[in-house]
Amino acid sequence: MKINVAFVEKILILFIREELSKFDYKKGVLGISGGLDSSVCAFLSTKALKPANVIGLIMPYGKTPSRDLDEALKLAQQLKIKSKIIDISPMLDIYYKKYPTKNRILMGNKMARERMSILYDFSAREKALVLGTSNKTELLLGYGTIYGDMASAVNPLGDLYKTQVRQLAIHLGVPERIVKKTPSAGLWPGQTDEKELGLTYEEIDKILFQWVDKRKSIKEINDSGFPKEDVEKIINLVKNSEFKRKLPQIPKISERTVGHDFLFPHDWGK
Amino acid sequence: MKVGLVQISSCLGDVQKNINTHLNFIEKAKKKNVDLLIFPELSLTGYSLKDLTQDVAINPTDSDIIDRLKAQSHGISIVFGFVEEKRRGLFFNSSAFISEEKIIHIHRKVFLPTYGMFEEGKLFSSGNNFQTFITPYGPAGMMICYDFLHYGASYLLFVGGSEIILIISAAPGRGLTNRESFASSHMWELMGEAISRFSSSFVIYCNRVGFEEGISFAGGSFIYNPAGKLIAKAPYIDENFLIHEINLDEIRSTRKKMPYKRDEKAEIILEALKRIVRNHEN
Repeated sequence: MKINVAFVEKILILFIREELSKFDYKKGVLGISGGLDSSVCAFLSTKALKPANVIGLIMPYGKTPSRDLDEALKLAQQLKIKSKIIDISPMLDIYYKKYPTKNRILMGNKMARERMSILYDFSAREKALVLGTSNKTELLLGYGTIYGDMASAVNPLGDLYKTQVRQLAIHLGVPERIVKKTPSAGLWPGQTDEKELGLTYEEIDKILFQWVDKRKSIKEINDSGFPKEDVEKIINLVKNSEFKRKLPQIPKISERTVGHDFLFPHDWGK
Repeated sequence: MKVGLVQISSCLGDVQKNINTHLNFIEKAKKKNVDLLIFPELSLTGYSLKDLTQDVAINPTDSDIIDRLKAQSHGISIVFGFVEEKRRGLFFNSSAFISEEKIIHIHRKVFLPTYGMFEEGKLFSSGNNFQTFITPYGPAGMMICYDFLHYGASYLLFVGGSEIILIISAAPGRGLTNRESFASSHMWELMGEAISRFSSSFVIYCNRVGFEEGISFAGGSFIYNPAGKLIAKAPYIDENFLIHEINLDEIRSTRKKMPYKRDEKAEIILEALKRIVRNHEN
């Protein structure tokens, strides 16, 4: 699972640069949370596009720990990118006044979609492409909000496991306090991914790598020493989240149907 | 002989734009006295065509695009890739060798990768031959990308008398290691070294770069001499115009030393192959 970080950095920078120029964009916009993934994406985008062409939106909800906010601000200053703090509490609180809930998952999803909505608004205002920050672990587990943080125009980190993003972060010079921070989706105070998933990212990534990249069967993975219940749990998360990695199903009834047999490339004419 | 490898990215589905790129490189190559100029697989169209395949197809017997390339082929040979509509509604992933205003040979990709990320079998008819043809520089053969990973294809060119094996490619980079390259690039180099050495022929491989549909084409174009030595190599991932002078006399000196070609027993292989295939021993 060890990667050549210099090589990966180079590919991802070329990717960001090429994707933007293909669609005639000079600027990129991304949400920065003070966490690992968005910091790495901000570093890469800055290298690919120059600081003046990167817009980092910091979008706290009232109870976001102020440490994260500080971290995000410091990062923006360090990279000299344009940044803006947009508090999403007023929009959400108006809604929750009318439709109250105590379900923290519901609230987390709504926050993620509010942030997405702002990112896409800024995308149009600033003519900036939305850069996603979902890593391969999250995408595979479905550990994200569909049409929320999983929505973007291009997603540079989508083929790197969380632990690989960490390797890249160290190489890029992401501040140590961010690299070492306990990963959290920030759904509620004290929430951590690993507590919620019941496994560490090291454990999850090793299992996913064997199954996805090395094409090992579940039996082979169990036999190589990974606890059966852990493997099962991981595979089930992947299985039950396939819908998050696909466009909505369309019933095929005509001769030629979008997504079924009307299949043109994304990069058509680019 | 001076060989030029054009390691570039094509514009997906825009033949007009790509033909201009081709013409520019031909002009540059002529200024540098290049004899043989090679573009990557599907260089006129881009690779990830999906349903665009049929729209960008060309019938070389009736194409102003091909005529424009032919017109520039005085004193220089040009190899490029395109979608060929050989018969109405039959599309091939093809490469053409053009010289002195003539198409000397067209190779139609035989091995169409159709697994995992590849879907060429859905888009193309497969070719049915690996033919050695005579170029101004001696007998040569062409392959397209995945063709080269089936070593039987190289064997046919070796037996057919090819002294220069040309591979045009749109090979994606896959797999991360601790090296500063994709794991898949090593696979091509391994094959390049083995085939050049054991066929005592030049192996010239031109791969593309750039991104299409998130896929990164790995570059790393190369030339191996008939002794299996890497004599020229373009960088990975980045665009490059690699020009390298090769000495065709090395074919003779290598074959004097190691007579693989003289000692080959194609007849035995042929008969054994027939038995194996007919008896369904495979």
